[in-house]
Amino acid sequence: MAHPSQLGFQDAASPVMEELLHFHDHTLMIVFLISTLVLYIIVAMVTTKLTNKFILDSQEIEIIWTLLPAMILILIALPSLRILYLMDEINDPHLTIKAMGHQWYWSYEYTDYEDLGFDSYMVPTQDLTPGQFRLLETDHRMVIPVDSPIRVLVSADDVLHSWAVPSLGIKMDAVPGRLNQTAFITSRPGVFYGQCSEICGANHSFMPIVVEAVPLEHFENWSSLMLEDA
Amino acid sequence: MSLPKPVMRGLLAKRLRFHLPIAFTLAITAAIAFKYTVTEPRKKAYADFYKQYDAVKEFNAMREAGIFESVRPSGE
Repeated sequence: MAHPSQLGFQDAASPVMEELLHFHDHTLMIVFLISTLVLYIIVAMVTTKLTNKFILDSQEIEIIWTLLPAMILILIALPSLRILYLMDEINDPHLTIKAMGHQWYWSYEYTDYEDLGFDSYMVPTQDLTPGQFRLLETDHRMVIPVDSPIRVLVSADDVLHSWAVPSLGIKMDAVPGRLNQTAFITSRPGVFYGQCSEICGANHSFMPIVVEAVPLEHFENWSSLMLEDA
Repeated sequence: MSLPKPVMRGLLAKRLRFHLPIAFTLAITAAIAFKYTVTEPRKKAYADFYKQYDAVKEFNAMREAGIFESVRPSGE
């Protein structure tokens, strides 16, 4: 999850997010390269009285400042397309969960085997227990088996929402009347937090998402208990 | 006695010939520095983390700390 004075991304908890982290590092390195070059040139240009008012053209510099950016763009595009296609691979999910956005909570439906569905409301600040995170905790979490490919079908009941979990590298818009699909796999067990990412009204900031990844046997026990309680 | 004629042409070009190589060198140095202080350590950190990662041990530690909703600590 996020922590105070954080500058970069949250720690990756899925292979796709790890790839995105490394790609971001690669692209930021290129950004620093270009920024350093441009800043140095700007300082050199403003600290001189020398000018050449009679330059008309220069084939050499035109070739350089066309080819160099083209090469840089290719250096960015190739890893980018690699990750794009990686994210789109057929992944044969073990479980499909429907995440429906409402004003102002999420509801999750596990309908592969039985009919399990529940709502997930934010825990109000005054009801938090010590150790819980303000504006991030929910009364019911989306529990999934760790290390298993999961498909999430995202939609909405009323207005636009967006289902996002940064540490898993997921963000998918919840559009009323539309089913959007995303898939992920968690590399390690744990609890992963996210927040609604599309403005949806007064309590848009107060409908968080919590994904809990546990070993399969505990997931099965949990889903049996949830079915009994329903 | 007359002074030697000062250089009156190509001053900007001379300045560019001096500064542009420095600019490119600094830019590439910044990129290499970022690569070896941020990019490579991050890749290594993730590789090292998962090399020794014991998911069962970590899960049990988190379980005993009581952070999961779906599975309570073994004492409860």
